[in-house]
Amino acid sequence: MPQIPIIMPQLGESIAEAAIINFLVKPGDQVEGGQDLIEVETNKATMTVTAPCGGRIESFSAQLNESYAVGDVLGKIEASKEEAARFGLDAPAPTKAGDTETITNKPRSGTGSRVEPTVRGLPVPANASGASYMSPRLKARMQELGLSAADLAGIAGSGAAGRVTVEDFERFMANLEQQKLTKASSMRVAVADAMRRSWTRPLATVGLPVQLDAVLIHRKTCEPKPGPALYALRALAVALAENSAVAGRLVGTNIVHPSAIDVGFAVEAEDGVLVPVLRGADKKPLKELVLRYNELVELARQRKLPADATGGSVATVTNFGTFGLIWATPIPLPEQTLVLGLGAGRRMPHWDEAKGQFVPVMEAYLTLSFDHRVLDGGAAGRLLLRISDLMRQPEKL
Amino acid sequence: MSITYLEAIREAQAHALRDDPRVFIYGQDVGAFGGAFKATKNLQKEFPGRVLDSPISEDAMIGLAVGTAIEGMRPIIEMQFADFSTVAFNQIVNQASTLFWRTNVPCPITVRLPFGGTSGSGPFHSQCLEAIYAHYPGLVVMTPATVEDAYSMLLSAVAIDDPVIFCEHKFLYYHLKAEKLPSEALPIGKARIAREGRDLTIVTYSAMVHEALAAADELATEGWQVEVVDLRSIKPLDTDTVVASVARTGRLLCVGEAWPWGGVTAEVIARVAAESYGLLDAPPQRLNAKDTPVPYHPNLWAAHRPTARSVAAAARKLIRF
Amino acid sequence: MLHTVSGSRTVVETQLAAYRYMLRARLLDEKFAALYRAGKIHGGVFLGRGQEALSAAIGISLKKSDVFAPLIRDAAGRLAFGEPIIDAVRTYLGSALGPMRGRDGNVHRGRPQEGYLPMISHLGAMVSVVNGILFARRMKGITGIVGAACLGEGATSTGAFHESLNQAAVEKLPLVLIVANNQFAYSTPTSSQFACADLANKATGYGVEAHALDGTDFSDCLETVGSAVARARAGHGPQLVVASLLRLCGHGEHDDAGYILPEQKNSPMGRDCLKVAEDWLQKNKLADPAQFAVWRSEAIREIEEAVAQAQREPAPDPYEEKWSALSSEHLNELRES
Repeated sequence: MPQIPIIMPQLGESIAEAAIINFLVKPGDQVEGGQDLIEVETNKATMTVTAPCGGRIESFSAQLNESYAVGDVLGKIEASKEEAARFGLDAPAPTKAGDTETITNKPRSGTGSRVEPTVRGLPVPANASGASYMSPRLKARMQELGLSAADLAGIAGSGAAGRVTVEDFERFMANLEQQKLTKASSMRVAVADAMRRSWTRPLATVGLPVQLDAVLIHRKTCEPKPGPALYALRALAVALAENSAVAGRLVGTNIVHPSAIDVGFAVEAEDGVLVPVLRGADKKPLKELVLRYNELVELARQRKLPADATGGSVATVTNFGTFGLIWATPIPLPEQTLVLGLGAGRRMPHWDEAKGQFVPVMEAYLTLSFDHRVLDGGAAGRLLLRISDLMRQPEKL
Repeated sequence: MSITYLEAIREAQAHALRDDPRVFIYGQDVGAFGGAFKATKNLQKEFPGRVLDSPISEDAMIGLAVGTAIEGMRPIIEMQFADFSTVAFNQIVNQASTLFWRTNVPCPITVRLPFGGTSGSGPFHSQCLEAIYAHYPGLVVMTPATVEDAYSMLLSAVAIDDPVIFCEHKFLYYHLKAEKLPSEALPIGKARIAREGRDLTIVTYSAMVHEALAAADELATEGWQVEVVDLRSIKPLDTDTVVASVARTGRLLCVGEAWPWGGVTAEVIARVAAESYGLLDAPPQRLNAKDTPVPYHPNLWAAHRPTARSVAAAARKLIRF
Repeated sequence: MLHTVSGSRTVVETQLAAYRYMLRARLLDEKFAALYRAGKIHGGVFLGRGQEALSAAIGISLKKSDVFAPLIRDAAGRLAFGEPIIDAVRTYLGSALGPMRGRDGNVHRGRPQEGYLPMISHLGAMVSVVNGILFARRMKGITGIVGAACLGEGATSTGAFHESLNQAAVEKLPLVLIVANNQFAYSTPTSSQFACADLANKATGYGVEAHALDGTDFSDCLETVGSAVARARAGHGPQLVVASLLRLCGHGEHDDAGYILPEQKNSPMGRDCLKVAEDWLQKNKLADPAQFAVWRSEAIREIEEAVAQAQREPAPDPYEEKWSALSSEHLNELRES
């Protein structure tokens, strides 16, 4: 026979517990369903606990003058199955109020979804996971320390989607203290800043071999002698004068065209690179540019460039060939769309149709790195071809 | 010897009646019967002529209170349930709350709102209306979470020269006990750090403070130290204490038993986001009751409002962000 | 405050004084209407045209120590209760020096601590506040006072009316509730407002005494309102006074009142109470047209002086405004630094 618990009922609004003050029946007694069994006292009033169904009182577990919480078992009634069923007590015990575990973890029929506390808005955006997601606090902390997003690259984030939490960051900074630290020069910091800003764009590079023989012959006719990089610079200036749109900058939905063809060129200085500028490089022939070019190189090396000789250029030429490199993918300055690179010259076999044989030619790679938002490979290639053509006719430069 | 939250409220009223002849209590069943919750038990006997039964006229109860306040009295009005204060809404938000600003005559009334959910109370005996009253200028809204605060803040409410909406949580009436009544208290408008922690700040008030503390206990077993801020009064709202806590933890979870649209949790988050964006290492989160009327059955009710379990789940999610 | 005690006056003196309050109220209202049309008043202007006799009777029946909660058409009662003209003018013009300091305007004016309540717009809401003052005074042992609250017939449809009249009845408060049934609540006729034959019948349901009167009749107003106030003062509990009259203007000056029917205007109810009072005073040889003219020019001078003074006074300055809704300033929220 089922044993039906006698439970401390909810005796009224907000009543949490009640004290047993009198047992009206004793174990062994036969009782009717609804019969008063126990007198209890709450803060409000004296009330009675009634029999959940008819049957024999099996036992009372509750003690006189003790308090019991709502829902506590006070005793048991032995009842027939029929009697229990009559009072609806044959179903599994209901879940206790306040305990949400069973319902929150129980799949809903049909959908299988779960009732869970709703906390939305937390996932890190898919396009900004890992170290590229920075919380407002992380940003503020990094700004306080003068750090930039790139500095987070070395940190393994423990947050959602691998984001770097402030705790991760502080731990990383604390660990840095234990390693050898040297102060970066202001030049290094400036280059780092420029490169970091530049790298926010999709950059691509195209390359092309260019024959330098004509240039090498032509420079011997000049005094002072221009270097191959100046030929490349002048060729770039002439080509941009023909079509300046490719050197434009994309701002929002507009291409901002250059107002003058001022071209910079990279000069290595101690612990960094400087970029002096030849103003109006499309307006003066090569021979007239040489003296100014040489002067700017010297000033740059001494780090004495006047203010008007830097900045505001539309493109840069870099002669990485001076380091013996034949190929590189330089990065355009943040405010520029193009950087033209010139590799080291090498003597290469070249098939001569007329002679029907290989002939040696002096050849170097021209590279053009560009902001792919502004121009595509085709336009970059055409610009590079035009520069290459012009360099093969140096007398026209 | 221990004293419950409800007894503290009774004691505070007895204290106020004893100390200040201007104080009287007016409300339904508050007289010989001692109130629906017995918050005024024996007070009529102890203070004859000063604990008075009103007809079931919430609007007129508050109107009368305002009139007596004009005459220099300090009425305590018991709404039988906070839910019924909506009938008096006009008098509270248009009469009481505008009086001082319009006329320079203070309106020192205390409106006691037995509020919040308890098992089986259903849609019309469970509501949390603090945010609605806080929305109105000219009202002070208190939401004590402890026996000590229930006592000291009610004394403050009666002493304050402005209308005070005193939100006393019915769930805490009998559940919450203290050894003795306090002799001193934090000033009104100052929040309390109910538990210190460094990983997450939970800002909450009233009954939810206890759910948050239970959640913090649970998270402590997992190695997380959760700070719990008990706002005590939601208007004025102690932004400084909240911001200082977020400065320590970087993570903010606001928990309220009220409905989600607008309200205290939204207000706290808006203030932290606006004033201390740079302190947040994670999106501030809030946990409220569901956007439905308060359900009757205990199972539905327990899932409707935030509980220690759902607070812990939300906190865990936020800590892991 | 300028105050008169009706008890110390002869009946004739009271009648003459009441007439002069009616006249001043009519002229003051007309001045406000003119200022409104000249664009000098922000917001609405609400006239008491046709209700002056009733209103003056209320004000003049009260003592300085009584409580008065007038409504929008009670310029006469306000004056009779002792409100200086300058208070009304300053409030309409939003003057910083008025009792409401530009924070509230037009008919929303009063001095609560002097028992003169500034109405809120929610109809019926002031009645329980009057109850509260009477309740508090009784607790303090103050006796022999009366609280008068004015309503229109529209306000009898509100829950606040029911709650507060019932409350006053339960507490046996010396409340005199005067309902000016001016036939329209804004544009709504009484047929859409209530279904009882006579609003005074409602008193029975609340267990209070009722008085009905002809609101156009100067002497009926003085007599019936005076007797209701006296009954309340003598401890007979709340008194419900229902006056029948017709609003002789729009709800406000923005309203042309096209909904008021010609037959209503031409009925006895449509009589101008001011004219009725003048005729009555003349018939009883208490005043003559020359005397009316003197009083009129005196009143106009007073009103114009008040308007001139208020217009010279500074407007409220938003930078000087405290922007503090709480008297406990330390508890204010979000204060601008």
